[in-house]
Amino acid sequence: MEQVKVILQDREIPKKWYNVMADLPTPMKPPLHPGTGQPVIPNDLAAIFPMNIIEQEASSKRWIKIPDEVLQKYLLWRPSPLNRAYNCEKLLNCPVKIYYKHEGVSPAGSHKPNAAVPMAYYNKMAGTKRITTETGAGQWGSALSMACQMFGLICRVYMVKISYEQKPYRRIMMNTWGAECIPSPSNLTQAGRNVLAEHPDSPGSLGIAISEAIEDAVTSKDTKYALGSVLNHVLLYQSIIGLEAQKQMQKLGVYPDVVMGCCGGGSNFAGLASPFVCDKVHGKNVKIVGAEPTSCPSMTKGPFAYDFGDLAKTTPLLPMYTLGHDYVPAPIHAGGLRYHGMAPIVSHLVREKIIEPRAYDQLKTFDAGVKWARSEGFIPAPETNHVLAAVVDEAMRAKQEGKEKVILFNWSGHGLVDLAAYDAYLAGKLQVYELPDEEIERALNAIKDFPKP
Amino acid sequence: MEIEHDITGKLIRCPKLGDEMTLSYCLQESGDLPCARIMRCWVSCIDVESFLKEKLTPEQWEKFKNTQSKNKVVSLIELIEAAKSKK
Repeated sequence: MEQVKVILQDREIPKKWYNVMADLPTPMKPPLHPGTGQPVIPNDLAAIFPMNIIEQEASSKRWIKIPDEVLQKYLLWRPSPLNRAYNCEKLLNCPVKIYYKHEGVSPAGSHKPNAAVPMAYYNKMAGTKRITTETGAGQWGSALSMACQMFGLICRVYMVKISYEQKPYRRIMMNTWGAECIPSPSNLTQAGRNVLAEHPDSPGSLGIAISEAIEDAVTSKDTKYALGSVLNHVLLYQSIIGLEAQKQMQKLGVYPDVVMGCCGGGSNFAGLASPFVCDKVHGKNVKIVGAEPTSCPSMTKGPFAYDFGDLAKTTPLLPMYTLGHDYVPAPIHAGGLRYHGMAPIVSHLVREKIIEPRAYDQLKTFDAGVKWARSEGFIPAPETNHVLAAVVDEAMRAKQEGKEKVILFNWSGHGLVDLAAYDAYLAGKLQVYELPDEEIERALNAIKDFPKP
Repeated sequence: MEIEHDITGKLIRCPKLGDEMTLSYCLQESGDLPCARIMRCWVSCIDVESFLKEKLTPEQWEKFKNTQSKNKVVSLIELIEAAKSKK
């Protein structure tokens, strides 16, 4: 019988979070206040975050003690198992050993509670009575709802209206954990009312929902706001994933050649990767890969790597290379595509060439997710499918190179509340295809009433 | 504005929302402008650049093309200041 899981005892749970800020090869420039042009100071954020969290956001201390109250809540599902994916290995038939941290075992089904629980705790300690947040399809909103319930806080979640209507299950989870879930735009805030006045049928957006959640926090008594990704303190709390993984790998006497995670805002990726970044910065030979979504198989026929953007966010995303192709970017790609949703720490590490970014189109990711479900059993969250595509890709590379590799990745959550996404994939609705001219014409007609400034 | 739910009959997994969306949603995600990710998400399906140039006014196109993404902390501070003015 082969050993599949490595389980840590409760007493073995890490007692400190790791802060990768302490080990960055070059310091990050502080963000500048948009009004004064001066570096942001703690008070600038005091309207929405309690000071204990702001201190952590700005901290460069390497280790930060996890409060006992947070550890006690973590123990409901942590330490999470480290599993060996024997069945997937057999399916891929490549010279790789695949290990994964199973973050789908949390009550909310993802890694998100790792950050939600300490946020709720620190707010409680600071005297906060109520927390607001925004959510897209509800993964973060549900995690925070649970955490607020654990510490007796009122929670209001502004959920993007189109997802609120399309995805009822996470809303129900939020309600079950005692939170109020509001479709955004709403008439509860000026920001929401402004949008509704102009576009009564607005489906909402994450930007509108954030505006509403922050306005609510700023204008309400004893209320703060919580953000589930991107910021330094979020990545700090998630580091428990990688710290546990290091202990578990150590028990096996194995060290990974490649550490992988999917990158949305960067929290689950950095959660696993940041302790290994520390190792790498201090000389360990480990490749660290972040997998992001893209939709350009016709351009690259394979993974498409690009710069995440610079610190001042003034440069565009620049395609750097493609595998097996020389990709010449269209002008818009080099000059106009300026999106930056990634954690600044992760972007910084990409620029330092400590992290290698790769992107995979949605078909490839769902294909990998279905392979996984049919070999390992667990149905992954669609976001988790990105790293699974990267794992498959890395296994194929190992085969081509004739090298044995140990791969460690973060299985960030289950997809049991996202089955509609699988339904769309299996029904061919997600299939990438070339749009015929008549379809473009039809599309143009359909949006002819789009408002002009 | 009426939302056209089935422009292409196809869906994109929106990495911002974590949900499946049509092109019509992406076109208005930023109010009067398309989502900043629209190029990356839809480029394999349509010539997004030509499509947007035809669909947007020249002013909208310039604004979209030159949209700068912001550091998250900076955008939070802007939202805080905006919210304070509504107190």
